[in-house]
Order: sequence, then structure tokens, then C-alpha cells
Amino acid sequence: MAQPKISVDLILSKLAEEAEKAGESAQKASDVLLESLETKIAVTPYDVVYEEDRVKLKHYKPTVEIQLKRPLLIVYALINRETMLDLQPGRSVVQNFLQEGIDVYMIDWGYPARKDKYLTIDDHVNGYMDNIVDFILDKHNLDKIHLMGICMGGTFCVIYSALHPEKIKNMVTTVTPTNFDTNQGLLHIWMKDMDVDRIVDTYGNIPGDIMNMGFLLLNPARLMIDKYVGFIENMANKKFVENFVRMEKWIFDSPDVPGETFRQFVRDCYQKNLLIQSKMEVGGKRVDLKKITMPLLNYYGKYDHLVPPEACELLTGKVGSKDTEDICLDTGHIGIYVSSKYQKEFVPRIARWLKERDEDKKKRGAKKATAKKRVAKKTPKKTAALKTKKKK
Amino acid sequence: MNENEQNKSGPETLFADWMKTSTAFWESMASTWPAFNKAGGVTPDSKRDDKTSRFQKSWESTQKTWTAWSQIITEPETMKTLFKETGMLPEIFLKIAQTGLNSFVHLQQQWLERAGKVQESTKSYTFENFDEDALKVWTKLYETELRKIFNIPQLGLTRFYQEKMIRSVDKFNMFQSNLTEFLRLLSLPMEKSFQVLQEKLVALADEGNLPKDSKVYYQMWIKILEGNYMTLLQSSEYTKILNKTLHSMSEFSEAKKDLLQDTLLYTLPIPTQKEMDELYKEIYLLKKRIKELENRS
Repeated sequence: MAQPKISVDLILSKLAEEAEKAGESAQKASDVLLESLETKIAVTPYDVVYEEDRVKLKHYKPTVEIQLKRPLLIVYALINRETMLDLQPGRSVVQNFLQEGIDVYMIDWGYPARKDKYLTIDDHVNGYMDNIVDFILDKHNLDKIHLMGICMGGTFCVIYSALHPEKIKNMVTTVTPTNFDTNQGLLHIWMKDMDVDRIVDTYGNIPGDIMNMGFLLLNPARLMIDKYVGFIENMANKKFVENFVRMEKWIFDSPDVPGETFRQFVRDCYQKNLLIQSKMEVGGKRVDLKKITMPLLNYYGKYDHLVPPEACELLTGKVGSKDTEDICLDTGHIGIYVSSKYQKEFVPRIARWLKERDEDKKKRGAKKATAKKRVAKKTPKKTAALKTKKKK
Repeated sequence: MNENEQNKSGPETLFADWMKTSTAFWESMASTWPAFNKAGGVTPDSKRDDKTSRFQKSWESTQKTWTAWSQIITEPETMKTLFKETGMLPEIFLKIAQTGLNSFVHLQQQWLERAGKVQESTKSYTFENFDEDALKVWTKLYETELRKIFNIPQLGLTRFYQEKMIRSVDKFNMFQSNLTEFLRLLSLPMEKSFQVLQEKLVALADEGNLPKDSKVYYQMWIKILEGNYMTLLQSSEYTKILNKTLHSMSEFSEAKKDLLQDTLLYTLPIPTQKEMDELYKEIYLLKKRIKELENRS
């Protein structure tokens, strides 16, 4: 007898096997979902040391002896919340910085209310950010601090460092859009023709839910279907469920974006691409990227669908600093901060980079010379997932 | 019976007699009024007297008008003319009915012409893409023909509220129409992905390579779906419809807000969003000014 083209018996037996497994899994899943789950996010202890309107400054409690003279200020985007950097113990950028002996401050932008709709980029950068930087400088009796920005927060850091270079010692930008004239990312395509005036005039602040809907539509197949299929498949795994719920908590915790800030960001950045050309004006002053003379470390993700590499990689070539470095990781927009693979190298590398540049040039030169005599300088391991481009 | 007797018993005489009797009845009723007042209605309260006399005066005046009018109408000449015209009544009614019917037919004709125009403007659509065409036809029909109804000028004291309500209904219709088009567009990759998957499965079945694991089918489908979405989301058509939907959503939100603010909230003892916005702006500007002054000093 000839062999049948389709092995129906095998397919059916496999199906029966899967159905049995699904039944067992559903039973376990119900046990997991009914017992108490640990899904708290942002649990690393901190004090709120400064408050202005809705904005708070978090100061994290050091876990080891501080090794840097200057503290690090982290500026998150106005979209979603800074809790992403402290999702859970063992998967927290903040915790990793603390373990590296870095004194960490982070801005919590809060939830903008209707009254905040008039706040512009100028109010955020030259207002809140500058006041916070001054507060930290006063508190530590310093002239400069380290600055690190995430996504739109990175763009704010770039603007701030160009307008107040005297207050920033080193800057780290991560997944930071500065060149908006690209068709690599869907956001860049959609924003070009958006009638931003009409939307801002109608809503005042841009509702977080509308923003979230836009982000989900960037990849509906994965973000609206596959993600939840994955959840159903792994519902019997308690750790997986806890991590998934933490991520869901973070991703749909979306404050509204102040209308005037959104209007300027879309018009000047997405539609006119003024920032990278040093033509953008904030608070009546031109943002000249050549004034960014402090060392700059620029991280971005190769598979970032929100802020593609093309939107990030031009910055280092446009600033006035000669000490710049681009690092492109083989991951997406969020993977840099939360994937277990990059947790191990992302923060230690930034910490190392900052430590090398924490002290003043003269002192650093003298220290380096002594160190060279004693030991051969260790070079960082190059992994396949890491591409770096230095300009020194 | 002679002609005079015949005339006397005709409808004119009957009508005149009825008029006279009823006038006499109401006259006698009116004359009993002062007697009624005197019998039980008189009180030392002068105000009540005033009220009664005002009512009586009004009654007397009405009665006088009725008497004068009935006298005129019961004159033989008037009665004759009246009953002559009565014979013409069917003709008058017919005329009114004819005019009404003509207007109705004309209106229907106009609608038919409009429908004809719609047909002309939608000739290019075929039944190959029925859902898409139906949507486009509806949107065009609404924009060019049905929307005119909402533009009919509103009159009277409540004109302002009617306009707000109608504007909000119109903007809602436009938003719904655009949203439906947007959702239809988003459903296309899903529809297409199933088609492609089926074709792939047929090819695999022909080769005898059908996967045994159901997860493989799912992975195949999700990959196709993702690819189809990427193609759609990067297209200019998608951006165009997305912007159109966002625009109409904003317009509807604004119209709805206007309706609620200017009609409902306005009557309640609470501030409207418009008023609060003005206040917020003032606070914002004042704060800025204070900061500037602080920096200067």
C-alpha cells in the first residue's frame, strides 16, 4: 500500500497530545492565577527630595559605598513612566546602578492634569529640569553632575546640555531620537502628516490611551495577538505570569502628555527635524548641538521600532564634543533595559564609562598615567550583539 | 308651497334662526350675571369686586362682538353668498390637494435626481470590493446629499441649541463613517493572512510536508499577518485614512464638548472647561512672570 501524502494519523495524535497538555496547563494556570502573585513594580527604596507642581525627584538609597564623586540624574520620557527602570528586584536598571556605587536621582514627571496643558518643552527643560539640576548641585556642593536620558527624556537631556553645558559633566543618551527625518520607524511616517494643532486644540493634553493605541498599532500582530497567546501558553508558570503582569502594569500606566509640549515636539522635531540641524528654539534660545562639549555615550537598539537606529546615530557626529561613543545593541526599544541578556552588560558598561570620566581632566590624566605604569589597561570584551563606534 | 315658503324653510333660514336663538341665549345668560353677583358674590372686599367686574366687562365685550357678527351673517344677502360659495367647496379642496400633491411629486423628483447623481458619482465602484464600495458610496451620499438636511437654517428662540445638537449629530456621523473605513482597513491584513495561509497549506499538502505541530501553523499565520500589517501600516493610504479618522474624531469631540458646555453645563452652577482653561492659562502666565521677576532680582 502506498504511503499517504498527509500523515493524518500523526497530526491527529499530536493534536490529542496537545489537547491533553492544554487541559493540564489550564488546571495549573487556574491555581497560579488564584494564589497571591508578587507583581509590585518600582520597589527599590527612595526618598522624594524635591517637588515642584506634579514633578518629583526620587533619590535612591545607596546599597554600597558611593564610588563616583558626582551623582547621576536619570530623565525619563513624558510618555509612560520611569518605573520601567525599576520593574522588579533583579531586573532593575536603578538597582544595578546602585550596586555599581553610583548615587542615583530620577525625575518622576507625574500625571499631567488639565492645568498642565500649557506647559512647553521650555517649561520642562529650562524649568523643572534646570531647577532639579540646581537642587542636586546645591545639595552636593558640586558644579556639574552626570545626566542620562531615556527616549524623549534623552531628547530633553540633549536640549538641556546644549543650553546649560556648564552644569553637565557627562551625558548618556539611550534610545534617544534626535534625527526625525527617517522612514525607518512607523511613528516617523505617521507623525509627518499629523494635524497636531487640531488634536492638541481639541484634547488639551494628549490622552495616554490614545498614545497607547498608537503604540499597539505599530505591530498589531505581535502586540495585540501573539503577546497574549504567549501568556496563555505560559499561564501555568508563576514567574512568567508575575513578570508579564508587571510589564502590563507598566506599559498601560500612561500619563497624558502636556498638549503644548506634544505640539512642539511633533512640529519642531517630527515634522521639521530642527533639533539635529541645531535650528530648534527652546525658551527663545537656539539649541546649538555644537555647545554639547561634554563626553557623550549614545545607546540605541538595532530592532527598535519606535526609535530606529537612523533616528539616534547622527547625534554623536553633530555635537561639539570629541569624546563620543555610539553603542548599538541587537535588541528593541525596551529590551535594552529589561532583557536579562542586556541587564548584565548595559549598566556596568555605563558605570565604567562614567567612572573613567567622573573626575576633572587634569586629575584623571595624572591617575591614568599612574595606572598605566601599574597594570595593562583592560579592554572591554566585544560581543556579537555589540557594535561600537568611537570618536575621540 | 310657493317660492317664498320654500326659501323660508331653506338652509339659509335655518342657519339664521339658529344664530338668532343662540345669540338670544347668550344675551340672557349675560343679563343674569349682575343678579348672580348681587345674590351671593358681593363681599366687602373691593378687590374681588374689581375682578368680577373685569371678567363681566370682558364677557360683555365678547358678547357684543358676537351679536354684531351674527347680525351681519344672518342678513339674507350674506347668507346667499355664503351658501353659493359652499357649493364651490369641493373645487377649492381639490385645488389645495392638487397643489400639495404637486409639491410632493416635485420633492420626490428632486430626491430621485439626487439618487441619480449618487449613482453617477459611484459608477466607478464595482461589486468586486463590495464592503469598500458600500462604505465609499455611503460616505459620498452622506457628504453630498444627506448632509444638506443638517444645513437647513434653524429658526426661533431655540435656534442656538438646535444648531449645536445638529452639528454634533453631523460630526458624529462623519466620525462613524471614517472610523468604519479605518477599521475595515485594519481588518484587511487579517483577511489576507488567512488566504495566504490556506494557499501555503495547500502547497505543503501537495508536497506532503504538512506540519504535525499546531504551533507551527500558528507561527506561520502570525508571521504572514505581521508582514501584511507592516505593508499596510507603511502605506500612504493608511496614513491618509488614519489622519482623516483622527481629524473627524477631534471634530466630533469638539462639537460634543460645545453642546455639553454651552447647553447643559451652562445651566448648572459649575464652571465649564472653557472657563477653567482660561483660569489655568492665567495661573500659568502669572507663574512664569513671577519666576522671571525672581530670576531678575
